[in-house]
Amino acid sequence: MAGNEQQPQNQAVKHRHRTEGPQKHVVVFILSIVLTAIAFAAVAAGDVNPVFTIILLLVMAVIQVFVQMGYWMHLKDKGHLMPIIFMIGGFFVASTAIVMAIYWVWW
Amino acid sequence: MAQAQAQGHVHGDHHHSVKRYTGIMDWLTTVDHKKIGILYLLAGGFFFGIGGIEAILIRLQLIKPMNNFVSAQVFNELITMHGTTMIFLGVMPIIFALMNAVIPLQIGARDVAFPFLNSLGFWTFLFGGILLNLSWVMGGAPDAGWTAYTPLSSEYSNSHGVDFYTIGLQIAGLGTLIGGINFLVTIITMRAPGMSYMRMPMFTWASFITSAMILFAFPAITVGLVLLSFDRILGANFFDVAAGGNPVLWQHIFWIFGHPEVYILILPAFGIISEVIPTFARKRLFGYSSMVFATILIAFLGFMVWAHHMFTTGLGPVANALFSIATMLIAVPTGIKIFNWLFTMWGGQITFTSSNLFAIGFIPTFVMGGVTGVMLASAPADYQYHDTYFVVAHFHYVIVGGLVFGLLSGLHYWWPKMFGRMLSEPIGKWTFWTFCIGFHLTFFVQHFLGLLGMQRRIVSYLPHQNFDTMNLISTIGALLMGVGILLFLYNIVVTSMKPMNAAADAWEDGRTLEWSIPSPPPEYNFKQTPLVRGIDAFWKEKMAGNKAMTPAEPVGSIHMPSPSILPFVMSLGLFIAGLGFMFSREDFSNSFMSFIFNNYLVLIIGLMITFGAMITRSLIDDPGYHIEPEEQEEEVRA
Repeated sequence: MAGNEQQPQNQAVKHRHRTEGPQKHVVVFILSIVLTAIAFAAVAAGDVNPVFTIILLLVMAVIQVFVQMGYWMHLKDKGHLMPIIFMIGGFFVASTAIVMAIYWVWW
Repeated sequence: MAQAQAQGHVHGDHHHSVKRYTGIMDWLTTVDHKKIGILYLLAGGFFFGIGGIEAILIRLQLIKPMNNFVSAQVFNELITMHGTTMIFLGVMPIIFALMNAVIPLQIGARDVAFPFLNSLGFWTFLFGGILLNLSWVMGGAPDAGWTAYTPLSSEYSNSHGVDFYTIGLQIAGLGTLIGGINFLVTIITMRAPGMSYMRMPMFTWASFITSAMILFAFPAITVGLVLLSFDRILGANFFDVAAGGNPVLWQHIFWIFGHPEVYILILPAFGIISEVIPTFARKRLFGYSSMVFATILIAFLGFMVWAHHMFTTGLGPVANALFSIATMLIAVPTGIKIFNWLFTMWGGQITFTSSNLFAIGFIPTFVMGGVTGVMLASAPADYQYHDTYFVVAHFHYVIVGGLVFGLLSGLHYWWPKMFGRMLSEPIGKWTFWTFCIGFHLTFFVQHFLGLLGMQRRIVSYLPHQNFDTMNLISTIGALLMGVGILLFLYNIVVTSMKPMNAAADAWEDGRTLEWSIPSPPPEYNFKQTPLVRGIDAFWKEKMAGNKAMTPAEPVGSIHMPSPSILPFVMSLGLFIAGLGFMFSREDFSNSFMSFIFNNYLVLIIGLMITFGAMITRSLIDDPGYHIEPEEQEEEVRA
């Protein structure tokens, strides 16, 4: 790890993480698989209204992103404020560019 | 991870043997942020000189009506390369030079977070810059303007010029992105104990925000350059209307990058001014927290105003109005900064050193550029100003009057810290006055040239349009600016012959941590990491009657990253691959040349060199080495 003053803090985070981790991670792991399974099932069912399928897929995807970011990328833990700020910033800038491209260039 | 680290609990063997190079190999392999800062300064200064010569040639062509000093084609190449070189290869690296030289010292760190990446960032920038400038001797420089608008750049520019632009900037941009990420991580994780975010010096804050902007803005230009080079070299159709592409897309992508880029340029200058003015007014910076807030706000708004470069493209009245208002909003945080600097000087004991002259000269000059900026932000009026010399005057007021004044101020200010020698004050003052007067002579009249209707980027103009005298004045001013820069170079030469005797606190009123350590600092910067007890940490200690910072750790062995040639090799590989890609569709008369280029062999060899170096780096552990307390003593005595 880097920083001099951050070291004790980071160790504390790691330490707490070790004690409370496993059970939660199993739950989250199952949740991730269930979310994926729902998405596959919705497509495999076939005769569902496609609009419904697409919306369901998007909802599953959004939940999946938050689960993955929060638990596997540890963004829910303390000391991850900067990564969160920068991810939101990047999301903001990228979505501005995408909206621009769709709205002005190809609409 | 190879990084400078506090000692105290280092396990295992302290005596990793490490090869320490001398002479040229030392500079090629260094990962020391102070040496990389000097390399950035040398390379940036070199390209700044090339860009300056191009500027002088442009002004000589425009000295009188219907002049034929250079041909129209060469003129287009000159204006394109002047803009591109100055922004990407001149001032950005000099900004990185100061960031490298100063930031680890200001936050009390022993190096940046990723010293190896720091070196890689420098070498990719340098090789990208060399590639771009090789265009002059390899069949013609880029000629589509520094903005490289399509379809001019994609369909109507037939030489390899724009290929040099896309590939060269791509490689150089990689270096900038690497540098930006490195400084983000450094500032987030490596501050000395006690240095909270709101105790960071203003230059560190400005560089932090700048690095964040680099992180978000540079991917846009990366994508844009990929699309443009694919259009040109591989026959893609992103910007080709006939095939369903859209040339305006390039303008959007370019300015989504380009507008944040101009704030990437100016924010570090704001940071430098915020260091220099308090030091020489012997007063704490007025409104520190509002300065921080204003910097963040400028960065945020900077991402939402790009379309003000495109008012005349036909976005419609609603979009134009929104972007107008967003642009004018930026004047508010910028105004906060201007008033904060004025209030910092108010009632201070001001000493007019050459560094401070540049800082004080910066304020009115930058305000003038800001005012014309607000004028340009008004969409209806912009239809009148667009692509005239009014725009040229505006952006030179903010970039030269803002950034270059800031950089010269910072260079005079931190020179003793970087090189251990004080620059000559009398020559410094001559530099300021010639440069400042030359600058205003050059660009003030260009406002009126623009309002009278002189377009930018034209190679010549007809007589009797009231352009003649003002163009003559402008050229004389440009020559005077050249004299100013030559005086600065003369100052450097004279200074480098003097003994290396600058004091640690070279200006005697230093406020931040870099002034608490010797000039130039030892390899490891801080023998003991300092404890920061407030904003302007060193000043606070001095006011409390202490001569030095309170250490936050005992004296111990210091872990250092080992030097490496790999960043140089990786960048060289990218350089070769870039040339290979650029000429892959070229018809060579020589059959050997066509064989190696048209079969992508050169491209593949270049990439193999780069990836080979990356694999080497991954497989061979770099344990670094330690500097023991006894060696630290020896170094101090030496």
